[in-house]
Amino acid sequence: MDTAIKQSLKEIVGEENFTDSLIDLIAYSKDASEHQHRPDAAVWPVTTEQVVAIMKLANREKFPVVARGAGTSLAGLAVAERGGLILDLGRMDKIIDINIQDRLAIVQPGVIYADLDRALSPYGFFFPPDPASGSVSTLGGNVATNAGGIKGAKYGTTKDYVLALEAVLPDGRVLHTGSKCMKSVSGYDLTKLLVGSEGTLGVITEITFKVNPKLPMSSTAMATFDTLEDAGHAISEIMYSGIIPSALEVVDEQSLVAINENTDLGLPVVEAMLVAETDGHTKEETEFQMNKIIEIFKKNHAGMVKHADESVGGAAALWAARKSAYGVLARINNNLIVEDLAVPMSKVPEMLRSISDIAKKHDLKIPTVGHAGDGNLHPVVCFDGTNADEVKRVEEASIELFEKVIELEGTLTGEHGIGLAKAPYMVLEHDEISMDMMRSIKKLFDPNNILNPGKMGLEG
Amino acid sequence: MEGKYEFEKKFRDQVLRCSSCGFCRAVCPVFGITKRPAFNARGKMLILKEVMDGNLDLNDELVETLFQCTTCAACSEQCPSGVQPPEIIKQVRKDMVHGGTCHPAFEGMNQVLQEHTNIYAEDEPEDFERERNKKAEYVFFIGCVGSYREDEATLATLDILDRLEVDYTLIDEVCCSGALEDVGFEINERLAKKNVELILGTGAKAVITGCPYCSRTFNGKPQYQALKDAGLKIIHISEFLKDFDFGVKTDKVVTYHDPCDLGRHCGIYNEPRETIGKIAPNFVELRHNRSNALCCGAGGGVRGAFAKNSIAMARRRLEEVEEVGAEIVLTECNSCVHNLSNAKLRAQKFKILTTTQFLQELLEEAE
Repeated sequence: MDTAIKQSLKEIVGEENFTDSLIDLIAYSKDASEHQHRPDAAVWPVTTEQVVAIMKLANREKFPVVARGAGTSLAGLAVAERGGLILDLGRMDKIIDINIQDRLAIVQPGVIYADLDRALSPYGFFFPPDPASGSVSTLGGNVATNAGGIKGAKYGTTKDYVLALEAVLPDGRVLHTGSKCMKSVSGYDLTKLLVGSEGTLGVITEITFKVNPKLPMSSTAMATFDTLEDAGHAISEIMYSGIIPSALEVVDEQSLVAINENTDLGLPVVEAMLVAETDGHTKEETEFQMNKIIEIFKKNHAGMVKHADESVGGAAALWAARKSAYGVLARINNNLIVEDLAVPMSKVPEMLRSISDIAKKHDLKIPTVGHAGDGNLHPVVCFDGTNADEVKRVEEASIELFEKVIELEGTLTGEHGIGLAKAPYMVLEHDEISMDMMRSIKKLFDPNNILNPGKMGLEG
Repeated sequence: MEGKYEFEKKFRDQVLRCSSCGFCRAVCPVFGITKRPAFNARGKMLILKEVMDGNLDLNDELVETLFQCTTCAACSEQCPSGVQPPEIIKQVRKDMVHGGTCHPAFEGMNQVLQEHTNIYAEDEPEDFERERNKKAEYVFFIGCVGSYREDEATLATLDILDRLEVDYTLIDEVCCSGALEDVGFEINERLAKKNVELILGTGAKAVITGCPYCSRTFNGKPQYQALKDAGLKIIHISEFLKDFDFGVKTDKVVTYHDPCDLGRHCGIYNEPRETIGKIAPNFVELRHNRSNALCCGAGGGVRGAFAKNSIAMARRRLEEVEEVGAEIVLTECNSCVHNLSNAKLRAQKFKILTTTQFLQELLEEAE
């Protein structure tokens, strides 16, 4: 990036909102994935007008622009793989309006998920799709990646709550999509096209969300299963029983072993542990649902079943295994890849079995946790990045994992996105016609390929 | 693998273990006010990885971030991978100083303690109208901030010790110099030796400190091991006071700011709350409290070296006081009182005091 461009950027955002200092370039070189590349400069725009001016400049000078929120991507979505400019939207962090009468929240992209949740709380409302990184992730990032979370089975993902967007297109025009209405079938759904587009089509500068009333009561239960198959049958049966749990999580044997080795939780070591939560307006309502779930657990040969008893720590104690998993797995080795795939719910046991087999075959540790209620699993590959042989085995195992997912009519990613990590595998899941459509859409929005280039396998 | 720097030998595994998840963004006070990722723990670990890879040296360009950390350890609490960034950063600062790179304010601090007996280079010690260096059951060790900046808080503490008829003495104390270890230098042996001699000379069975940092230093640093070898207990004033009843109460809304040095670094969260609970039934917690408390911005040499950001961090902490509508903010660290008071806006009507200061006010009102 030449000095003249840098000077223009400084004029657009002001000296204090521009950097090409070494410390910033390094700090922006990575997200939570294994991918890394330094950008040439970074800016912190504070208005849509500044983003417009930046995009016009970038389109004219043809340098890459990578919009970035908290940089918590697990698939390299926020890494400037070809250098260029990081557009850090963290300083556009105003909650513009909370309109409970219309059930709306309007925010700038840099608002942190947890801050919106806190602002909605006094109204008895919440924003359901809660990624594990919700204490830091920005809503612009959540929208651009269509983030999910633990409540997906009942409440869906980010896409189900985005009603309207303001986005700056690569040529600097400002696109307005959607409406403030709960229902709208007016024209193509450009809103949903932008949600999950990984910053490849436009820079989101304002978001209108639908928000939900928060149900005040919940019940929690945990069950252990000696075989993955029993756990799998319990999962599918729950999900077609008519009860929709607000969370249904799975922790596999390797995770339980790792948790036991690193904490004093003393968990039973079984092939699978399930944790379920139901929510409602009254305790009777949540217990009614939970009792049905427990019946299904028992019918499917659950070993231990624990129903939360508030007097002894209650729900928190039952959640301890699932919630401690990431912290424990992150300490096993120097590197970890939190994988993300989804399969039809009935295929969860077969997928879990395959993950375990693939790990054994390649002599790797791949403990798995996941959102069983929507078939979304997170195999966590723990390895030593300084060991070339192990890295090679990780790569081989990954390919086998994705091939199995596709064989089971699953999808490469349930909630983390394609980014760089899965760009090479896009063609496994999508045929030539759908790849061609996606590439055409990219070209229509961004003919000069300046927005987050190299992501999603769109250049093949 | 042998590294060029000492931090690589000690902390290589930890630096590698940072998975760049970014969860430290939620709690890092420097990041909180700057929104600049180079300043949070993830940014610092990425920079150190590049140093370990041989891509860059610990040079002047890195001072702005590596010397701008309050060592509050909020990131350590939050880190899923168990990395302890403040420990790494303290070693990195030593490596930098060793290689001739340092922030001038940090260098100045070391120099002042070479030539003087306290961090403010004050030559006239406060006497607080109490006897010094006498035989007593306890030594009360004030600390630099309590001696030279927050002397009213110290007087209140001493008045309370008098009321409780505690058999204590002050000493001709000098800076414990523990903070030098945080800013790239070593504890000043001359000062440490003097403190140890004076304390042992009183025949006391315990040292009560007014400053949580001094308490940490006496408890943890080898230069003060002689105190422990002699069987002395080192406690902070908040630990000492929790066992007493004072018979006074306030109806004001009171909150408590956990100092990093007492909370996260010593695990003392309950003792101050026990005392406050007895005198303030209308107690409210700040949004970030206990192990999750936000730093006041003063620690790790940041107040001296990056004053503007230090004050901004304190302002952010005080916004949480407004949020809960507290009339009184209590804390147990003179340095926190000092920085928070400097940051307080005129429109903010609450008072910032140490617990002993507030207690003394209530006792005086009751008389």
